[in-house]
Amino acid sequence: MKGYESLHSFYSPLRISTRPISRRRCFQGPRHTRPFSSSTRAAIAAPEIQFDGDASGRASLLQRARIVPASPSYFTAKPEFTDSLLNLQALLRKYEALPVLAPGHAPRVAWKTHAQFMLTSTEPVRVARYSRILKVLHRLNYIHPSLMPEEVAEAMQVYKRDVNPYDKVKQPVIIDQSGRARGLGRRKTSSAVAWVVEGDGEVMVNGKSLSQAFGRIHDRESAIWPLKVTDRVDRYNIWALVKGGGTTGQAEAMTLAVANGLMVHEPDLKPTLRRAGCVTRDARMVERKKHGKLKARKMPAWVKR
Amino acid sequence: MPPSRGILAVATRSSTGLPKSQWDVLPFRPAQPASFSTTACLAASGPPRKGKKAIRNLKAARQSAGRPPAPGERKALRKRVVLSNTNALEVSGLEDLDAKAIGKESSRCQMFGLPGPVVDSLRAVEAFKPTQGWRMFRSASVLWREQSIRLAQIMTDLAKLKSPETRRMVLAGEKGTGKSVMLLQAMAIAFMKKWIVINIPDAKDLTNAHTEYAPVPGTSPQQYIQRSYVANFLAQIAKANAGVLSQLQLSMQHDLSIPVQSNISLDRFADLGAKDLDLAWPIFLSLWAELTGPGRPPILFTLDNLNFIMRHSEYLGRDLKPVHAHDLSLVRHFVDHLSGARTLPNGGLVMAATTGSNKPSSPILDLAIRQSEARIQGLTGEAVPQWDPYRPGDERSLQSMADLEVFDIKGLSRDEARGILEYYAASGMLRQAVDQRLVAEKWTISGGGIIGELERGALRMRP
Repeated sequence: MKGYESLHSFYSPLRISTRPISRRRCFQGPRHTRPFSSSTRAAIAAPEIQFDGDASGRASLLQRARIVPASPSYFTAKPEFTDSLLNLQALLRKYEALPVLAPGHAPRVAWKTHAQFMLTSTEPVRVARYSRILKVLHRLNYIHPSLMPEEVAEAMQVYKRDVNPYDKVKQPVIIDQSGRARGLGRRKTSSAVAWVVEGDGEVMVNGKSLSQAFGRIHDRESAIWPLKVTDRVDRYNIWALVKGGGTTGQAEAMTLAVANGLMVHEPDLKPTLRRAGCVTRDARMVERKKHGKLKARKMPAWVKR
Repeated sequence: MPPSRGILAVATRSSTGLPKSQWDVLPFRPAQPASFSTTACLAASGPPRKGKKAIRNLKAARQSAGRPPAPGERKALRKRVVLSNTNALEVSGLEDLDAKAIGKESSRCQMFGLPGPVVDSLRAVEAFKPTQGWRMFRSASVLWREQSIRLAQIMTDLAKLKSPETRRMVLAGEKGTGKSVMLLQAMAIAFMKKWIVINIPDAKDLTNAHTEYAPVPGTSPQQYIQRSYVANFLAQIAKANAGVLSQLQLSMQHDLSIPVQSNISLDRFADLGAKDLDLAWPIFLSLWAELTGPGRPPILFTLDNLNFIMRHSEYLGRDLKPVHAHDLSLVRHFVDHLSGARTLPNGGLVMAATTGSNKPSSPILDLAIRQSEARIQGLTGEAVPQWDPYRPGDERSLQSMADLEVFDIKGLSRDEARGILEYYAASGMLRQAVDQRLVAEKWTISGGGIIGELERGALRMRP
């Protein structure tokens, strides 16, 4: 690990000058000679290399030259990663002076997770290493969007997930032309859609009255619970469609649906409704049956033989 | 699970080097081979531990509880109607129903107590049902709702007509809307107006084959009479209408198998039939002839649970086919008047109420109700629902239900709901302040003022 570090630091720009010149030349030489066939740069560059050997009878350059890596990061064992990090750090250094957003106000970006990054990378990179890239990316993301340089945006794009979940903005529910607000609710395997409209307390569930739809009074109370806790039973009418599950599930699905519709009319009621348990979906579902058991947990009775 | 399964015994030594006991014997359990199968019984835990009581068979240990109930005792308990509750508070300012108040608009949303004689008569005709909530209050009282006023006005108008008219109507509505109580209110009005009230309290009793029946010779299609039912029916008529019938005397010659005093009062005449099963049906017919004779008061003829007579009865005919309910003589008598085949010469009202609970399927009745609703809305021609000609139907029921007035009973309005909730609170049965909030909540919970549900939500399911 230590050797790895030293190798890496050896090629870092800061320490590069402290190394012996001979080593430096060894790596930089081929860079200069990369445009082998370029003739346009003849004025500023060294003369073209004659591969077939020159007049002095020396062997050709191809035969003489060592094959050298394209990047000085080659000897870090993770050249791709190192180049990427150095590239980002260079960008950051270049644009460090640009104005940034206030802390906590950077646009939310879903960066690639380590696993996703590994799919695109050909090298094994540890999580800690990747987090160094992320650290630079977070800083770059703070550059004010109106001044965001093109190259930074392009560089960051590589590390963003294909789909940014934070781009998905929840559509605000609105009251339609007829004054109806639609709310959706679920509980166990039931789902309910309720249209809440200003009215005088009439409720229709699947085309039936509340008493016909729910035989139990407790279920009826569940269905209109959001109206009851906010003291608005006689101010709204509800027209609901409920399906799936049993009666209790349907009634409690309606609780959420009605609360969602009601919050469209009166968003200020949300804290009250939350305290009354009308906002959060109850995530509990039936526990699956397991083999060797009679039900989810019930053990069979012991039989002597 | 002990790790030493299958090991018979192990010796243990304490730290002193001496044996703690000679042999600490662990219970032997044969090694259970690991089974490939994962069936549930193999996953069972071991036998019940010692000292843990085995489950006793509670059924076997149950003692017999002395004397078994006598025949009919349990039914009597089930059918018992309790009309007062001394634990309930007396409602101050509760007026008794009187003939002047019943048709007034100002009586709307008010509760009225039923006068004592009317209660007795209503009890005699079995107008009170055990499932209704009378037992929760100090005295029997009724809510005077919009339909009650309309009904009272109809009955008042009928009595005023110079040429007597027979009005026929069916009370329909969902379960718990107060159809039976509306019948009761009609009967209460009739008793107060000195009409003759004849009530078949439950049509189910006539058709469910729980009472004896006998064919009437020489009839086609074959008719059946139910002697014991009619005898009891006559007794009810005599008792309930004693005030009116005792003033009326026999005025016609009747061909009966017993000699009858020529100027016998009609209540005693009815009692004759009540005492003799063989005479019950002939006397009923004679009594009907007397009551519909000239100079007699109007009649209120009612039946509850109409659905049961718009279909085949549970009785079997000679050919082992079910007897149509209309072939039972008493049912036929009612249906003839309900359908308009026969009229009441002195005027009156023929009413039937459908049932919402324990509802037998009667598609014809449903159709008739929908047709009537369409007619009320002014629809004509194809807009009025018709019977599907390819569907086998009950032609007789369909004909009897044609051209009927349907009185659709819906939920209470909020004012009416407030009226009855205030009565509940004044009786001490509802221990909450009756304000707009409570009324709105109870009204919605009861499915839009369905009075049966209102009572259930406010009284029976008390928090």
